[in-house]
Amino acid sequence: MKSLRTLLTRALQTLPLVGLMAGYSACVSLPEDTKPALKTWVEDWRDEVIYQVLVDRFADGDVNNNYLVRPGALARYQGGDWKGLEDHLDYVKTLGVTTLWISPVVKNVETDADVDAYHGYWAQDLTQTNPHFGNKAELRSLTKKAHALGLKIVLDIVTNHMGQAFFYDMNLNGKADIQIGGTGTSSPLTRISEFDPDWDPRGVQASTSLGLAGRAPLVFINDPTINRIPPQPGILGTARAYHGRGRIINYDEEAQTQLGDFPGGLKDVATEDPEVRATMVDAYTRWAEEVDLDGFRIDTVKHVEHEFWQTFGPAVRQRLAKQGKKNFLMFGEAFDGNDVKLGSYTKNEELDSVFYFSQHYQVFRDIFEYAHDSKAQKGTDQIQKLWDDRFKNWGDKPADGGIGIAPNKVPVGFLDNHDVARFLFEAKGDVAALRNALTLLSLEQGIPCIYYGTEQDFAGGNDPANREVMWPTGYSTSGDTFRHLAKVLRVRKTYEVLRRGDAKVVWATPHTQNEEDAGIFAFERAGGDADGYALVVLNTNGRKASSTSDGAAAMKSSKPGTTFVDVLDPKRATYTSGGDGTLKISVPAQSGMVLIPQADAQD
Amino acid sequence: MKKLTPLLARLAALLPPLALLTPRLAQAENTALSTEEPVKPQVSATPSGAAEGANEPQKPAPKPETKPETKPEAPKEETYPSGKFEFGSYGRVRVAIDGRGGTGRSSNIIAYGSRLDEDSYSEFELRREDTWKKDLKTRVVTTLALFPPFFHFTGNPTQSIALRNLYAQTTYGKGNFWVGSRMYRGDDIYLLNFWPLDNQNTVGGGAGYTLGRGKEGDTMFAFHAGMQRLDNIFQTQSIQAVAPYGFGTVSIPKVDRPRLIQSYKITHFLRNGPGRTVFDGDDAKGIKLVAYGETHELAAGVQQDPLTGKDRALPSDFGWLAGAEAVYYTGKRDTYAQLFVRHARGIAAYDPLATPTSFSNGYKTSGAHETTVAIAGNVEGETLAVQWGGYLRFFRDASEASSSLQKFDEGTLVVRPRAYVNDHFGVAVEGSYQRRRYAVPNAAATGQLDASVTRFGLFPFFSPAGRGSFKRPEFRVIYAVSLRDAGARSLYAVGDPFASRSAEHYLGLSVEWWFNSSSYP
Repeated sequence: MKSLRTLLTRALQTLPLVGLMAGYSACVSLPEDTKPALKTWVEDWRDEVIYQVLVDRFADGDVNNNYLVRPGALARYQGGDWKGLEDHLDYVKTLGVTTLWISPVVKNVETDADVDAYHGYWAQDLTQTNPHFGNKAELRSLTKKAHALGLKIVLDIVTNHMGQAFFYDMNLNGKADIQIGGTGTSSPLTRISEFDPDWDPRGVQASTSLGLAGRAPLVFINDPTINRIPPQPGILGTARAYHGRGRIINYDEEAQTQLGDFPGGLKDVATEDPEVRATMVDAYTRWAEEVDLDGFRIDTVKHVEHEFWQTFGPAVRQRLAKQGKKNFLMFGEAFDGNDVKLGSYTKNEELDSVFYFSQHYQVFRDIFEYAHDSKAQKGTDQIQKLWDDRFKNWGDKPADGGIGIAPNKVPVGFLDNHDVARFLFEAKGDVAALRNALTLLSLEQGIPCIYYGTEQDFAGGNDPANREVMWPTGYSTSGDTFRHLAKVLRVRKTYEVLRRGDAKVVWATPHTQNEEDAGIFAFERAGGDADGYALVVLNTNGRKASSTSDGAAAMKSSKPGTTFVDVLDPKRATYTSGGDGTLKISVPAQSGMVLIPQADAQD
Repeated sequence: MKKLTPLLARLAALLPPLALLTPRLAQAENTALSTEEPVKPQVSATPSGAAEGANEPQKPAPKPETKPETKPEAPKEETYPSGKFEFGSYGRVRVAIDGRGGTGRSSNIIAYGSRLDEDSYSEFELRREDTWKKDLKTRVVTTLALFPPFFHFTGNPTQSIALRNLYAQTTYGKGNFWVGSRMYRGDDIYLLNFWPLDNQNTVGGGAGYTLGRGKEGDTMFAFHAGMQRLDNIFQTQSIQAVAPYGFGTVSIPKVDRPRLIQSYKITHFLRNGPGRTVFDGDDAKGIKLVAYGETHELAAGVQQDPLTGKDRALPSDFGWLAGAEAVYYTGKRDTYAQLFVRHARGIAAYDPLATPTSFSNGYKTSGAHETTVAIAGNVEGETLAVQWGGYLRFFRDASEASSSLQKFDEGTLVVRPRAYVNDHFGVAVEGSYQRRRYAVPNAAATGQLDASVTRFGLFPFFSPAGRGSFKRPEFRVIYAVSLRDAGARSLYAVGDPFASRSAEHYLGLSVEWWFNSSSYP
């Protein structure tokens, strides 16, 4: 009996242990399960450096969302997710970038024609996350951790189109057809796809053997296996929300550009419809609210009418400002080398900035990528002209409630991105050209935007070869390009004038051959909203050292009689300007200098 | 014993408060124990597996009421060898409507919810029992299980049939061993159709030995080792290869990694016996204590990704679990109270009839763990009886993400009082609450996904075998209403009526039986 009592006493004593075991696991929690309080995380967007991340390609932090992943097939999902990105924030922080532009987060049509929506541009539901990348809690967790590290998050959004949600029933048979006709000899070989028919200004027409039969019905597809189901929310699941005029075939025609479907059968949204506009404003502003985002990168802006942006921009700004989120950056992608076109989206309260596509073509392609091709390479005077034009073509007043900086002072510059071949592909592996271009990108006026993998010398060709996975690199921080970029960004961070100062070209040349100044480009950063002075000198010539002089003419700094230190030079070489500001410097091929008055130079 | 009684009373009193610990449990799909095990009622608080032997050391804890002693007749001379065939069965069949023109459908959202609306299921057991000489016996057990839907419901002549038992066991003196395919399990919580401690389904073998002073023994040891290789490319995969001779292809094994499972069990009874008094003047009372453990291993392998055709390494995996059970029984009218505690880690956190669906980034289950605390009991009087059951379960997968559908807390409490109008007719009511809370945000992303269902049921019953919560067969007319909150509704896809209906009705007829089954002694 005594032993029984002892046993029972011991049994009772184990109950706290039971409680401990239960407490050990209890209760399941989710760190970021509620909407965060909104806050303004950015003081001045010119201080930021954007790093573009294609989430599916950057880091795989959770193998459990690797649904239908096909490693190595770059047109399919590869497994990256927000958890992976969050796990590697230290890497991007080490690089020196400050803002992450993440690819679209919304739920997509899974796949189409054996290509997956890993990029995120085939939206199906603007209210739900793409489960390949995570859920809202994980997205919040990423944002929260990024903010804690001083990083910001910009979200890629698309208002122009949705994924391939419907087909045009052109033969009225109720099913989606793809027909190939003709012999290719006696008659042309034609392909008609009811998913993606050519542009028709009347709206895609139905026809039978007897002739035209009026507009082809838009038939929404219901295929849950690939999430090809009517879009959400609300009106986006109805035919009224779409133009239904078929695919753009002539980008020079304004109507097609604005009303046509995007190639690949991406259905053009009727953004002029007030309900559609309200839906877009609400759906995307909610993401900013629910996740505490810091900005939008907006896709395909030139395919949407200006009036939409004049509604969208102010509406988003006002709604977020009321909740304490100011300086919310909205910049657009107008895939166009026409600087006038680009600038048009930065006026009338539309967007805070746009991608500097004109610079991509006229500077980074024509001058830097062709550094070894004296016939193809253009003179640096082309840069000067482009920069000057920006002050004519782009908005010179900040949008009300926007980021507080005139758009012409904050172009979003870039060497390459997910839509064009990588710089090194075009430059045929010329890493010196890449590093030199990165120097200009980082130190010019505006916000530099760096495509992930650039720092790892990625050299992929056109889409999807330019969308490599990062993980084989081991996220090395010891590569030469990584270290070069990190150094330039450190200099940028150190000297406020390199971020907020105005820019003035002090030497540019049409010479690209063996001339004394062939390839030289120099500009001062001074004034504007910063104290200090910096002189950036670059030699874009890939074959020889050049000088900041051409015969009797020589570069003149606005700082006469000043001794400058090249803060990019590990040896800290010094140069002194003459009494009239003359500064004649020889710059090695494909390299650059950042000259800071010795008195201002910091270690 | 007088001092022991209040102590036991206090112990019993702790059980309901334990259930209250459940309050807000998370929910989620139970991947760990998701095999939708066929329902098996266990009438007794006694294990049916490990120590089963000819001398049946663990006869159901709740014993029938002690009959007045009669003078034993002179033992008949037994002849050896002798043998017989036995037939046993467990079964339940239901038919139900939802009051909206549809069929009645279960609205449980946790792994083991109330069974009021559970589906049909049946087992048929054929058993050969032989006694070769005194203390040397064998039995061969075959159990077929039938899963719904049945032909008369669908008109489809195909039927899902499983062979749940196919083993032979021999008992020699106080030892026994067995070999075969076997449901190998201990005590259940009848109201939840849940074996909280041990529930193995392997092909293997085991042995047991009984120690003790009394004829029925006091302490039983049992060991079993078995394996499973589920038909899932996690464990088995065949691929096509060019035939070594001639033309065509042949199938070759690519993945072959059974889960090896060992279980260890010690059962000890505290009860009166020859020369031993534990409960003064009450030989029917007893306490059963069980300590239980398992180890699981899974070898490494290489799988061919069906999507890409590329090889993918599958690392080896390991897991263990440990648990305990305490049962107090009065021996009168099946009155007892149970407490279970169990903790499992690694691959052992996953039911062996299920494969993990989430992993660490190295495709392992190390890091997964599960903790379960469960209670059950039954108190019966002449006209009233109350059954209860409940559990708390904390499951965490090995995923390195903080958010996962496979990280959840769940729990339930079910109480079923019944009253007898006479020896055969009665009315039972049941109230239950179940809840699961996941480590994922809810649909509106305003908090965690948190789902609960509250159910009330009423069923008049007819029991030909007389009064008793565990008397079968039992014929029932059941009405139940399940109140489903927004979280519960959100677990169903858009378009499913369960995604929009907050109250679910269930009106049906059912019958449940069991007799002479070695799986349900």
